Amino acid sequence: MTKQFIISVMSKDRPGIIADITGVILDLNGDLADLNQYVLGGYFSMILIAEFDENVTAEDILAGFSHINSETKIEATIKEMDVPLEIEKQNLPAETFIVTVQAENRKGLVQAIGLFFYKREINILDLETTRAGKHYTMIFQIDLTLIQSIQGLRVELQELGKHEQLDIVLQHNDIFRATHEIGTPVDSLPLA
Amino acid sequence: MLRSDQILATVEMVSKENLDVRTVTMGINLLDCRRGTVTETCLAVEEKIAKYAENFVQKCNEVAQKYGIPVVNKRISVTPAAFVGAGFSSSDFVALAKSLDNAAENAGVDILGGFTAHVEKGMTETDRAFIDSIPEALAVTQRLCASINVGSSQKGINMDAVAIIGHTVKELAEQTSDSGGFGAAKFVVFCNQPGDNPFMAGAIHGVEEADVVLNVGVSGPGVIARSLEKTINRKGRSNLKLDDIAEEIKQITFRVTRCGELIGRQVSKELGVEFGVVDLSLAPTPKIGDSVGEILQILGVDDVGAPGSTAIVAMLNDAVKKGGIFASKAVGGLSGAFIPVMEDAVLADAVAKGALTIEKLEAMTCVCSVGLDMVPIPGDTDADTISAIIADEMAIGMVNTKTTAARLIPVPGKKAGEHVSFGGLFGASPIMEVRNVNKSSRFIAWGGRIPAPIHSFKN
Repeated sequence: MTKQFIISVMSKDRPGIIADITGVILDLNGDLADLNQYVLGGYFSMILIAEFDENVTAEDILAGFSHINSETKIEATIKEMDVPLEIEKQNLPAETFIVTVQAENRKGLVQAIGLFFYKREINILDLETTRAGKHYTMIFQIDLTLIQSIQGLRVELQELGKHEQLDIVLQHNDIFRATHEIGTPVDSLPLA
Repeated sequence: MLRSDQILATVEMVSKENLDVRTVTMGINLLDCRRGTVTETCLAVEEKIAKYAENFVQKCNEVAQKYGIPVVNKRISVTPAAFVGAGFSSSDFVALAKSLDNAAENAGVDILGGFTAHVEKGMTETDRAFIDSIPEALAVTQRLCASINVGSSQKGINMDAVAIIGHTVKELAEQTSDSGGFGAAKFVVFCNQPGDNPFMAGAIHGVEEADVVLNVGVSGPGVIARSLEKTINRKGRSNLKLDDIAEEIKQITFRVTRCGELIGRQVSKELGVEFGVVDLSLAPTPKIGDSVGEILQILGVDDVGAPGSTAIVAMLNDAVKKGGIFASKAVGGLSGAFIPVMEDAVLADAVAKGALTIEKLEAMTCVCSVGLDMVPIPGDTDADTISAIIADEMAIGMVNTKTTAARLIPVPGKKAGEHVSFGGLFGASPIMEVRNVNKSSRFIAWGGRIPAPIHSFKN
């Protein structure tokens, strides 16, 4: 029997950090599944899924991280999965949409858009934001499966933009795939 | 998710740089609409167009809404009318024109193209009756566009037809003199007319095509102009060479073409109609920031028409074709750069300054994708001179194995330098001077054919 853990790790970024973290998993005879990592403002963050033998505990993994010999501390959160994750089924819906929002920076921008989507049962699949001086940019990848009318949503987004002084554009994700992915034939979109 | 800079670059192309799908054009074959009488044939034509185009505009709008890319024009092209109405008299063709106009109105499209004949080698009695009907047919209809193919690289130039067409153009302008001769703006003379061009006024549904297809015309001179400006500002003029500029144009063209094909294929899928081609052509509109002339200025000539203009158009046209070809497996139509004088505010401005003349424009058409397009000329220009200008333009297409076209508008009652405006997409411009008028009649009087060039005999 094996068990699955989902592990979230954060530390100041430095060379060798990925070798160190995955080394802990290997030392405990773990098998690494999906992994996602990001560096933001000089800080490294990783979330990963790994399978271990039945006798390995979350404490064992935490201990492994704490024994890494480094000046920068590694902070980790580990959760054992009660129900096995079906990684293959984590795919995105066939059709997703991209909303870009640009505005002068102020507090509460992401929350306002997040709430707008939540009230309309729009799931945010991915989000990236950047601040450049006074300018704030948000890019949401969203699922509109539960939305009846895209035209209606466009009108609502336009009203939101006018009310909150936001520059909002909603477009199908395939537009970006078609314009930037050379290897994706246009007649294959949307990819089921 | 893709990289944010890629997403923002595409968003900018649409929201600030006029990237749109300029036209989705539904091509419909009408050859099976022939019936025992003219009335029955006209009815069958209207019924067939209505059947296929019933949901066309609505579906285009829905896909545009869904994807967030505007589809500016929805249009229909049909089998050249002279084939559909074989044996018709001139007045019969006017009746057919009215039916086509009705069908366009009922389908909700602003323009229908295909009131056309192909006479590059010879004219039938029907073709002559058809040509005879053009002035009235375009004067009594709103949405119809006409064209005629008088030459090809394989067959040569039918100079009998060219001689007649000079009179047709004049009569067309005179019959629509209350609108500045606007009728002539709806009539194009071609050499090597493509059967899958989605752009008006020269769109037809070639007889070689399937029953119904969707062709997409993508434009975007504004996208290219803004992108070139940004690149020049970012890298500095002294750090760029012309091959860098050509590469940049190619890259942008790739993205614009892919956008257009995506939308076209979605509309095709929704309507259950075969997808034809995507035609990436830099088709300007009179709107500020949507000009091909502006690209020429960015690339280094102060006024369009100055020496160097032809070389820039050649580079631009080639880069656009290369980007488009790589982007799509279904490229067709004209695919290049258009230089329609009235439809491009910067070109019209160059005419006003005296920088752009018909002779220079003709030189530029040797390397662009179409020809002398939307050129207003004095209303008193004689028919033989008009025919001779057309013959010159056809010769360029015939010898260079490319499409050339002439859309000349002899504006009734106006002289060179006076202003004409058709409004909307058809634009405005000062009337261009035609030099050496009344000097070509002996040439036009010959008639017959200019034989096809030697390189046409490849069998």
